[in-house]
Amino acid sequence: MKKNYFVFLQALLFTIVIFLVGFYIGMSIEGKRMVEINDYYLQSEVSLVDVLSLNKLVGSGEASCEELVRSDKELLDKVYGEARLLTQYEESGKLTNQVKNLHLKYDVLRTYLWITSIEIKKECSTNLSTIVYLYNHGETDLTNKAKQVVWSKLLLEVKEVSPEVVLIPIAADSDLVSLKAITGSYNITSFPVVIVNEKYLFYEIPPKERILELVNKSF
Amino acid sequence: MDFLTGVYLGYSFLAFYYIILFTLIYLQNRKDILKVPKITKKYSVSCVIPCYNEEENIGKTIDSIAKNGYKNLKKIIVVDDRSTDNSYEIMKKYEKKYPGLVIAVQTPKNTGKAAGAKNYGSKFVETELIVFTDADSFPEKGAIEKMVGFFDAENTGAVTSSVLVKNRSNFLLRMQALEYMVIKFTRKLLEYVDSIYVTPGPLAMYRAKYFFNVGGFDEKNLTEDIEITWRFLDAGYDVKMSLPSRVYSVAPRRAKEWIKQRIRWNVGGIQSIIKHKNKFFRKGILGFFVLPFFIVSWIIGISGLAFFIYRAAREVILRYASTTYSVGANTAVLSLQDLSLNPDILFYFGMMLFAAGLIFTFLSIFYEKEKEFKRPRIFDVMVYMFFYLLVYPVIILTSLYKALKGEIKW
Repeated sequence: MKKNYFVFLQALLFTIVIFLVGFYIGMSIEGKRMVEINDYYLQSEVSLVDVLSLNKLVGSGEASCEELVRSDKELLDKVYGEARLLTQYEESGKLTNQVKNLHLKYDVLRTYLWITSIEIKKECSTNLSTIVYLYNHGETDLTNKAKQVVWSKLLLEVKEVSPEVVLIPIAADSDLVSLKAITGSYNITSFPVVIVNEKYLFYEIPPKERILELVNKSF
Repeated sequence: MDFLTGVYLGYSFLAFYYIILFTLIYLQNRKDILKVPKITKKYSVSCVIPCYNEEENIGKTIDSIAKNGYKNLKKIIVVDDRSTDNSYEIMKKYEKKYPGLVIAVQTPKNTGKAAGAKNYGSKFVETELIVFTDADSFPEKGAIEKMVGFFDAENTGAVTSSVLVKNRSNFLLRMQALEYMVIKFTRKLLEYVDSIYVTPGPLAMYRAKYFFNVGGFDEKNLTEDIEITWRFLDAGYDVKMSLPSRVYSVAPRRAKEWIKQRIRWNVGGIQSIIKHKNKFFRKGILGFFVLPFFIVSWIIGISGLAFFIYRAAREVILRYASTTYSVGANTAVLSLQDLSLNPDILFYFGMMLFAAGLIFTFLSIFYEKEKEFKRPRIFDVMVYMFFYLLVYPVIILTSLYKALKGEIKW
């Protein structure tokens, strides 16, 4: 009867090949997703500069506040959509760490957009309603994680009911100096926390209706 | 890549390796799997049947050996291990029924394990080959003859058979029937790499000279059929399998008996590993494949269970906490947002592993048409894959615990 110990090596080679192909496909998919998000990010950066330029024009009276608020809101909505896509890709990305850096870039961008929105609100006395959601990106505590899951669901539902509201989710543990400064001014002690229109702070999850009520009050 | 992902990939690698190994062995040898060597010499054969409290089955077992059809069967030595029922009286009746063929003997005192009775019976053997069968097992007609031809190769030390479940009247028995079919198919594939690691008690044949050379069964071991096979491999003897030689064995019909039996098998396995621990990666196929195969199979089982429990527990806690918060916040408990439409690479690896496992199981079950069990229910196969196999790591853990505590009993 035939004896073939070579089969042990053959099986090892096949397994390595399958794993290498799997890794290659996995990394290619993750890489492709990063390129996609990076493209979105670049577009958002361009839009941000555009909004900033428009802001200057409003200051000199060459553009209207309505146009500025509309552009700002559009950009914030776009960035929120990208944040959701990024979260999805992040959850399924296991092989590379590229997404972490991208996440950080987006956090800087969103912090800057939040600051810009505050300025625009002051400058234009507008009824732009913002909800800033500060959370811990690397949360390990399951109770807090569950709280964050429900917060994102609740805010999404608020957005669905009141499309005019602008959502700005920012990872508070991203170690950004600007974010630390701004959260310090609100005396924020723990995360997650939700800030509605820079006036109302929520550490605990209220009924959805409470948030809707505050949002609708500003319109 | 985080730690858990790394561990999971390592686990997948090992599992893939085994599945690919078995697939390649099958593909390279598929034409020979059902073949048995033609008989060129009618070797003299003795059969030893150890018996303890088997009054219900012992008569039928003796009949199935006596009428098995092998012409040069010299003796059937039925060894009563001091039963407390009527087993010995029945043996005596069969001694009269088959004069000169059946010999009923009794151990001087109860040995407590099958190995004791088997070794005692082997003292009466004067033939070239010894076949052992359990008192609750029934070899199919012709099973012995299909095993004998393998001994034409001088190096063949033992030949094992296809062990199948006789009684399939309840769900647990049907699960075991499926399991036995997968095991026998896998064991045949292992023959092609000289790695059959057990010659199961229901029907196994040994070359008498080699059997006595290795010193017979280890009477301290709970799975003497595993342990002796390792000593055969260690001595350089070949162990073969005759897939068409079928023996139908009585399997535990209740969960409690089943758990007890499986714990005994695993504790015996642990005893064997401890006994042969110095052979790891040292000598031949035993050290380089059989022992690591045993250990890695256990690691795969236990780590798989650990992953499952970890993920399931996390998910339950997370779901419970988020449901509580959702109710308070008046938001949807479940939403489309919860569905991950971008599965990760681990998911794909897991799916591939599962599919490969499923295909292998189907191949094992449907490879050989077996009378009385031609069409296993698909539902049974699914339950076997999804639930029955998941219990095994728990059995391994329990066995490890018992072995560590020194609870080594039949």
